[in-house]
Amino acid sequence: MSAPPTPAVPAVVSVSAVSKVFRRYARRGRGSGSLKSALLAGLGAGGRGTAANGVVALSDVSFEVAPGETLGVIGPNGSGKSTLLKLLAGILRPTRGRVEVRGRLAALLELGAGFHPEISGRENVEINGLLLGLTRAQIAERFDAIVRFAGVEEFLDAPVKTYSSGMAVRLGFAIAAASEPDVFLVDEVLAVGDEAFAHRALERFADFERAGKTLLFVSHDLNLVTERCRRAIWLEGGRIAADGPAADTVARYREHVAATEGRRRLREAGAGGRVGSGAATIESVRVLDRDGRPAGRLKRGEPAAIEMTVRAREPLADFVFGFQVSTVPGAVVFGSNTLLDGHAPDSFSGAATVSLAIPSVDLAPGVYALDAAVHARSGAPYDYWRDALRFEVTAHAASAGVWSPPRRWSTAGSVRWRQ
Amino acid sequence: MSVLSPVARTWTHRALVRALVRRELSARYRGGALGFLWSFVNPLLLLLVYATVFRFVFAPRADVRPYALFLFGGVLVWGFVSSALLDAVDAFRANGPLLRKTTVAPEVFPAAAVGARLAHLLLALPVLAAAIAVVAMRGGIRPGPELLEFPVVLALLVVAVFGAALLCSALAVSFGDVRDVVANLLTLAFFVTPVLYPVEAVPPRWRWLLWLNPFAPFFAGVHDSLFFFRPIAASDWLRMAAWAAVSLALGAAVFERLRDSIAEEA
Repeated sequence: MSAPPTPAVPAVVSVSAVSKVFRRYARRGRGSGSLKSALLAGLGAGGRGTAANGVVALSDVSFEVAPGETLGVIGPNGSGKSTLLKLLAGILRPTRGRVEVRGRLAALLELGAGFHPEISGRENVEINGLLLGLTRAQIAERFDAIVRFAGVEEFLDAPVKTYSSGMAVRLGFAIAAASEPDVFLVDEVLAVGDEAFAHRALERFADFERAGKTLLFVSHDLNLVTERCRRAIWLEGGRIAADGPAADTVARYREHVAATEGRRRLREAGAGGRVGSGAATIESVRVLDRDGRPAGRLKRGEPAAIEMTVRAREPLADFVFGFQVSTVPGAVVFGSNTLLDGHAPDSFSGAATVSLAIPSVDLAPGVYALDAAVHARSGAPYDYWRDALRFEVTAHAASAGVWSPPRRWSTAGSVRWRQ
Repeated sequence: MSVLSPVARTWTHRALVRALVRRELSARYRGGALGFLWSFVNPLLLLLVYATVFRFVFAPRADVRPYALFLFGGVLVWGFVSSALLDAVDAFRANGPLLRKTTVAPEVFPAAAVGARLAHLLLALPVLAAAIAVVAMRGGIRPGPELLEFPVVLALLVVAVFGAALLCSALAVSFGDVRDVVANLLTLAFFVTPVLYPVEAVPPRWRWLLWLNPFAPFFAGVHDSLFFFRPIAASDWLRMAAWAAVSLALGAAVFERLRDSIAEEA
């Protein structure tokens, strides 16, 4: 699963069996303990948390990063991404395990974290540079380049509180980039700037890569991760869920998110309303799989059926049964009824089961909502049940849109595919 | 070495400490029209109030006249001690974003708190010097070479205050009541330390209590060098050095022990 690229080169970052547990009350801020009680119990009373009473942010995380590698870290909020970067940066210490970073490290965990609003851009550049480990001589030497990159020449002597957020972001990035680290940790900072800045920042990252420097970045922008990183790690609940080529990791993560989202949407089924005169009522609606068993999940390309049980209050001569399938956002995918499909009503009384057989489910993977109705030929509903149930369609391959027909690619000419 | 690592790290990052002190000073004064003038105006006003109150309201002891001048040095130095320690208590709360988001060594914040207050004190010293000169010209006092003891007293005091600042700042991360404890201890200490009165004002049979008071030798030293112009007793030098060493060792040791929790909980 893991992909240590070239074992011959010593790793520049190595994380072995690292766990991080936060004391539970620490999250709500400080000062929950009292000095008095601790003095009574000895200084140890304010000591470290254990797994029993703490919040586990990371558990048993191991990986290595080779020099020159660009590694993306993805995962939902709260999966431990930022904690991981802070451990690497040395801001936090692991509860268990070992973190090693060789070479000079710069962490850009929040743009402009070191800025003081009341003092000038010039003074802030110096403090930020020192915070990043530059000497004053190095700062002086790189000052012009930093200011040029950030494009804040005219505002250097104005207090930073007068800067636009874009200016502050650019300045923070410029200083961090100027510190020329061997390992650069970046936490979701490109999302803040405008397009032009993001472009320049990415160019800077490319320079790093070419210079054989190591870049780790946390991002929610999966396209960016696929594009910029050869390798990506997916964190889920504080564990590594996948570690490998960026495209693979991102694909697996996307699949997981879609499935989770699908389950959530399925749970929301039945929320739609019902309207109608009540001359006939729909008692139940179900989706049947290829074996005729009620199912919440259908496979693309396989046969299926939609079925409802309807009861007439009194014998009816004017009746139409219909189904409609929509995407969850509400776009109609398919809808038809017995009248449209050529069944002229004669008589209906008591209970009946109405089935619509579908030889092949040609839908793209996703969650769909089903409406069922029994109504008069005029369209006046006896019982219209919106969003009566939801079902999920799964497939081996993703595709765009909602229609996913059976298909086959072929080529003529000199095109060859890898086996 | 490991006990004193916080001290060593502060030294390593002294350029950052200096920059933070400068940031503190320029942020504080940028808003005001008078800027750095406030550094002179504040102690001048203080001096004026003392001179007025103790001239017309209370009659001070004979051995500390002019009492305003006697008070001035002690109160300035006390202001440095108390404000530095209170700032140190808040140092990590005030710099939370920096601590959580950058790889900064946390020692620099209590160091900068002490540094900034020391800078304020140093900026006020010209006013004190002028006051001494004016009183001397009018024949009230006769300044001597003992004035030169003051920088040494101040240096030892800065070491002691830095140790206490390390202690206070680290404890304040884990314990919510540190600020109250420190503020109350300082109020108490202000009155049991010879700041407003000379050591001689303490009845001899109670004077041994001053041996337990870490602040006492420093303020005796301040009065000796800035007001009485007499050599500081060897035992006072010894006590200053001892308290400075104890404070630094204790502060650094506790800081080192709690250091890992600072970025997590500040």
